[in-house]
Amino acid sequence: MVSAGTLHVVSTEMTVGAFAMAGAAFLLAGLASHDLAGMRRHLTLADNVAHFALAFGLLAMPMAIMTGIQASPGEGVDHPLLINKMLLASTAFGLAFGVLLTRWRQGSGLWLNEWGRRWQALGGMAAVGLILTTASIGGTFSRGESLLDMLHLPYEHVPLMPIWLSGFVIIVATVNLVLLRRPAQA
Amino acid sequence: MTRRRLLGVLAMLLLASSQGAANPSGVGAGTFDAQCGGACHGDADMNRSSPATVTVEAPEVAYDALLTSVSVTVSNIQTTTNGLLGVFLLSDLSGAGDTPADDGWTVISNSEGGFENYVEAMISPGQTEHTVSWTLRAPSVGTYNLHAAIHHGTQDGSEAPFFGSTASPATVRVVEVPENLPRLSATFTPPTQITVGQTTELNLQTEFVDGVTVEWRTVGGEAQPATVRQLEDGSWAFTLPASVQPVVIEWRAHLEGDGPTQTTPWFQINSDDPSWSVDETTAYVQSVAMLLAATSLFVGLQHRRSESPLKAYEADLDEVGGED
Repeated sequence: MVSAGTLHVVSTEMTVGAFAMAGAAFLLAGLASHDLAGMRRHLTLADNVAHFALAFGLLAMPMAIMTGIQASPGEGVDHPLLINKMLLASTAFGLAFGVLLTRWRQGSGLWLNEWGRRWQALGGMAAVGLILTTASIGGTFSRGESLLDMLHLPYEHVPLMPIWLSGFVIIVATVNLVLLRRPAQA
Repeated sequence: MTRRRLLGVLAMLLLASSQGAANPSGVGAGTFDAQCGGACHGDADMNRSSPATVTVEAPEVAYDALLTSVSVTVSNIQTTTNGLLGVFLLSDLSGAGDTPADDGWTVISNSEGGFENYVEAMISPGQTEHTVSWTLRAPSVGTYNLHAAIHHGTQDGSEAPFFGSTASPATVRVVEVPENLPRLSATFTPPTQITVGQTTELNLQTEFVDGVTVEWRTVGGEAQPATVRQLEDGSWAFTLPASVQPVVIEWRAHLEGDGPTQTTPWFQINSDDPSWSVDETTAYVQSVAMLLAATSLFVGLQHRRSESPLKAYEADLDEVGGED
């Protein structure tokens, strides 16, 4: 007798917890790769923790989304908060997937590239920030308040593109990803 | 391999439990049989008996194809901490093929602002009684029973599902409409939703009616007369005032003609804030677009940066004075 609401809480905690750990590890990896605060010797550890936690968060996220849809009152996405939540979660998922894909393709060598390590740390932390904002919207939707309310984020406004523009973006992004399958020329 | 199968089975069982459990957050209003065909509270065998009392009130006589009003009162209410109470209007309690529509009734509206036989009401803390009203169009001539049932949870944290029903049904005898009986047209359907802050003009279509008076009230309030004007023969209009907040407004009409004067049932209209809607397909497609765009942008960005990892590695080694 486990309701969708309870499962949503469990899966959300797993997702947010994993992402929060990934965020902290990406910060440490960024510091370590820049040899700041005497962190250099911890780079391998922070790198592994950041990407494994991010991967676990990505695996847990679909469960959180499915149970969230089951637990939400009414039918469909009929509230601006829910639309914004879906858009933010998708962006976070895409960004996190890109971070993992980059790490998988380039290996730990990416931390040796001056800009590569910066973007990797920033990308990981940005994905985590988006997920935490998504969770904050969930809190606002279910309880009417959230810790991030102090930032007065415009949750009630939904930036929707025309469907043709979304389709165009999908095509361009897909073509780009296919072309990027080839390794870069040194 | 065996371990993988075991994990797969366990995962499927865990997922299935969320599908088969009760729904403490409700399932939303809908047209459901008793027990929702297992959709609301899972298997009927898992339900406990509700201590609440359910009564259904209906007129003894209704006219063929004309509108009538039925109300269900639930007393001694117990429900979950979120206060959700599901109420069914049914033609019998068999659990299948027992909606009012299965006996020929047409649900026109209900007092929760919908047009389904199952509604979910929010019960305030301390509230022990709640009434839901339905406006129905009567079926063909005959004698019909109307039952009611409820679904709710409990506050003890067990999330156990409860089911309750009427001890005895209300019996309605549907008779032929007398010649020249003043009545609303068979095609008239009362509206169920209006928008807060806007006055609403309603048009009535009538038959065998020479004069109409209309009164309206908020639930529990005093009835107020509305000014009615005749548009043409058998067509009348009146205006409901704008509400300043979401509220249920009731109205009824007194119809005068050559036959005996008739009074319609109270019709309920929910005044609600302007609804928010969005094209869900557009939102879903944009969601996919943003996912792919984020992945593509980041991979593209790092792809450029990965052009000289060897040089960077060599520079790094030079910096630390390693390898030569």
